[in-house]
Amino acid sequence: MTRRAATLAFDAAEGLLAVLATSRPLAALAAAGALGRARNQLSRHWPSPHEVLVLFPELAPPAAARVAARIGGLEARNRLAAELLRRAGLPPLRSLLGPLPAGFAAFRPPFILGTFHAGAVHALGPALERLPAQVLAFRHGPLFAAEPGLRVETTEGDEQRRAAAFQRALAHLEDGGCVAMALDVAPGPAIQVPCLGRTLTLARGPFALARLAGAPLVPLLARWRRGGVEVLVGEPLAVGTAPDAEGALAAAAARWLEDYLRASPAELGLGLLRALLGSGLTRVDGRR
Amino acid sequence: MRAGGGVEEGVRELVRARAPRAAEHAELADALPLGSGGLGLDSIALVELLLDCERRFGMPAATTLLAGEPLTVGRLVEHLRAAAPR
Repeated sequence: MTRRAATLAFDAAEGLLAVLATSRPLAALAAAGALGRARNQLSRHWPSPHEVLVLFPELAPPAAARVAARIGGLEARNRLAAELLRRAGLPPLRSLLGPLPAGFAAFRPPFILGTFHAGAVHALGPALERLPAQVLAFRHGPLFAAEPGLRVETTEGDEQRRAAAFQRALAHLEDGGCVAMALDVAPGPAIQVPCLGRTLTLARGPFALARLAGAPLVPLLARWRRGGVEVLVGEPLAVGTAPDAEGALAAAAARWLEDYLRASPAELGLGLLRALLGSGLTRVDGRR
Repeated sequence: MRAGGGVEEGVRELVRARAPRAAEHAELADALPLGSGGLGLDSIALVELLLDCERRFGMPAATTLLAGEPLTVGRLVEHLRAAAPR
């Protein structure tokens, strides 16, 4: 089979799974994972073992190939989850969410939940619905309806639209709410921090929000597990008062991500992997 | 034509402090946009400027200021003058 024919066959299978996913999300996502691993092993590209080794040089080549295949599976699941979210919203994903970690419900707002494009990033919505707080979530991409405790807004638009969103987020925190967003999508002002020996570009907004509201940042990730989705939270990261408080907080968030990925390299999303590989090397002191 | 009063000078002083590109303008005209196409303030700097105005003039910046047309020096001055206690 030629590469082109294989690509068309995989795309067609993904399309069928997207139809199946609205009624049987768990089975469809498991099949998507298997399909993604197969696609990776056939193409050796989605990502390649070499790309994995650049970021995780401590891995032996066979282990890097296994991680690459699992990242291929993760990518396929996430593509399906994003499509599911677009077609049917949160309901199919709600059934996949397992028990939340004990610490998750204990956080008292105001705080900022910051996530990354790692693990099951598109399946976090139902977890945000279960927080005992009013949550304002920002998303770069199609929006979806949620339970009354969760409001979802876009981060897209020019700087004035983003400023208006930032102003609402600040007011929401000042009213005792919780704001959630991905840290590694930077449509506006950005901060660069070291991560996995490369340079990670993070949105400056969440860190500026933390500084202006005096609210801690809680790192958050989800991961696909056999029975569904598991949520992980880090300890709250407090914002300091030093002149570069935002940069220090961003570096702390990136360290949290790096620690997690060193322990679980197959949780690195393909887009984030490619962004890190394209970023150039970071010197030991964090400068490029 | 320029909006007038003490608010006007105060706003211009705050804008100059926030916007490095303001140094390129001998006078900050009312029609000058604060964001792209003008002083180039990014989304965070725009909000910080409104917070500066809140602190200086003791009145909250309306959320409507950031909706619709590009925010200019003149619109910000007019808004604060209209909101000032008489």
